[in-house]
Amino acid sequence: MRRVLAVVCLVIVLGSSPRSLLAAQAGEPPSRDVLDSVVELILSGDADLLPVALEKVRGGLKGEDFTRELAEVVLPGLERSQEKAALLAALADRGDKAALPAMMAVAQGPADALVRAAAIRGVAALGGPEEVPFLESLLSGEAGTVDAARGALVAIRSDIVSPRLVIALGDKARSGPQRVAIVGILSERRETAALPALVDAAVDADAEVRAAAIKALGAMGGPEQIPGMVAGLLAARTDAERSDADRAIVQVCKDHRSKDLAAAALLDRFRAADPAAREVLLPTLARVGGPAVLEIVDGLIASPDAADRKLGLVALARWPDATVKDRLLHLVAQVSTEEERDMLLGGLIRIAPLPNNSLDPAGKLALVEQTMALCRRDQDRGKLLERASAIRTVETLRYVLPYVDQPALAESACQSIVELAHQRKLRDGNKDEFMAALDQVLATTKNEEIADRAERYKLGKTWERKKP
Amino acid sequence: MAFDLNTLDAPFAALAGFDWGADADFFKSIDAAVVAAHGDASLRGDLEKRFGTLLAGSTSRATKEYVCRKLAMIGTGVSVPALAALLTDADNSHMARFALERIDLPEAAAALRKALGMVEGSLKIGMISSLAARGDLPSVAAISNLLGGDAALAAAAAAALGTIATPEAAAALAAAKPAGDVAAAVIDARLACAEALLAKGDRKAAKAIYSSISAAIGDTPKTHRERAVRVAAKRGLLAAAE
Repeated sequence: MRRVLAVVCLVIVLGSSPRSLLAAQAGEPPSRDVLDSVVELILSGDADLLPVALEKVRGGLKGEDFTRELAEVVLPGLERSQEKAALLAALADRGDKAALPAMMAVAQGPADALVRAAAIRGVAALGGPEEVPFLESLLSGEAGTVDAARGALVAIRSDIVSPRLVIALGDKARSGPQRVAIVGILSERRETAALPALVDAAVDADAEVRAAAIKALGAMGGPEQIPGMVAGLLAARTDAERSDADRAIVQVCKDHRSKDLAAAALLDRFRAADPAAREVLLPTLARVGGPAVLEIVDGLIASPDAADRKLGLVALARWPDATVKDRLLHLVAQVSTEEERDMLLGGLIRIAPLPNNSLDPAGKLALVEQTMALCRRDQDRGKLLERASAIRTVETLRYVLPYVDQPALAESACQSIVELAHQRKLRDGNKDEFMAALDQVLATTKNEEIADRAERYKLGKTWERKKP
Repeated sequence: MAFDLNTLDAPFAALAGFDWGADADFFKSIDAAVVAAHGDASLRGDLEKRFGTLLAGSTSRATKEYVCRKLAMIGTGVSVPALAALLTDADNSHMARFALERIDLPEAAAALRKALGMVEGSLKIGMISSLAARGDLPSVAAISNLLGGDAALAAAAAAALGTIATPEAAAALAAAKPAGDVAAAVIDARLACAEALLAKGDRKAAKAIYSSISAAIGDTPKTHRERAVRVAAKRGLLAAAE
């Protein structure tokens, strides 16, 4: 019935408009026959033919009058939400602003969520600065509408989005989720003008806003934002927040086109920081690595000031790759205290098998052997044996296997062997050696999980690691 | 610089005794000569003569295939008789067509049309597709006559008429009374015809075809294929009406 009414309305509109839908347009206007055919297909409710008609709406049949006819007469005549949403999407793709008033009416009206979301996206596609306040107002609405408005504010072409959203971000009366959405929009729009506001948000009272802002700064920030990001890191109240801030700073210092400047800015902040702040910044600084940082670290280690020297050693022990292995080996032999020795040895144990270090597997295993020779405690030897399983070669198995016979290191060696055996290709490619090693593990280990794994690997089965 | 014809004697001697799996290094010399023959009528004539001798002789299928590939690039009317002689030979017909399809001369098309009446089965389907690939208008009547016969030939004929896509080809397809798979081939060919006619600006002819197909299927398609054809016809109708 509604469909019939819509067609009747269409006839009335056509009949009452002397200029009708064939008004003068640039180029040759489409014939009334073809426009009628398209309208008929849209109103037919035929799922096969609707896309054919919408293809013509998107392109091919030009003309503002036809756009208005579709938006103001045909659209209200459609019964199903899917059809309405499809027509709204096609009108958005058509790019004719003549559909905007009707699109706004639907976006502001009581339509269901699917239709309203399509209209909101359409407003973004066809609209400009005038529509930004409306879209911004939707951010305080229901979840479905907020998602659509968020997408619309990312997509809309307008210079006023950034200034308005920056003001909105600073409005503490707004809810946390709204401000988080605003940060997301600014980030997705890559609004560099919003970077100062994001830096402010990185130390906001709301933890979710802080987290969103620091993440956005990681993606968009540059050297200029490093001081603010460092402030965010220092203001972090939980380990998770600290970890997010650390990740974002490292991202800027390693991925930004001016990453060297960013790393230098981080160093500057580190130098200017008080001892407590240095403690917090040091892991981040060490994760950034690089020659400039290494120079600083070397300077700290050489410093007569004991506190500086300790900071330098901590940084070196947390270095991201094996480029500092010779320094570590050298310093381990020179240090005067057990504490420093343990710290540096811990660094060696950590970096020796790192997958991202520049050594080949044989080089990594050689470093493991060198480090093993420096270990004085079984606790360190055990750690090193377990870490060695990251070097996935049969040579590692051969290196680790003899330790199964040493009671103090047996469990660590068994753990390392089952980790190596977990690699099916490695295990199947060296089946005899692995079967014999797993037999030895089964005869030695008192750990049920290790024994279970060894049994499984012997039978050619896999083992599912428990999620932390 | 003129190509030294004496350098070709040894490669052509090797080609005469060539078969698949043998050393094909000598191809390089002949390939270079074929490239040089563009713009060198004398060299082209010499090569065609040598190639013709190989086609007429008791050389291997591998040799003839290579020769046909080269004649597809430089062949003229001189090579047509030698190639035409292979069209009825089951082993070499397809490669001879490969060459004749690409020799842009009326006598090459005439050779294919003549062979159409002399061969059966897959060789005949080959002739149909080569004539279609050439867009050979004089063969429309002969190809149209095949629409009512053997199903494989009829389907190939329908596809060929869809490729040739003239009003005559469209009329032949419209008049066909196909069944089963051939009916589907005829509808596909009619859609192809309509699209080609539309591209050439003949909206009226295209619209007539789309309308006819659309009316035949109606508004209640029964199969997925009918739905697809209906959509294609409606799209075509809108395009023709613009």
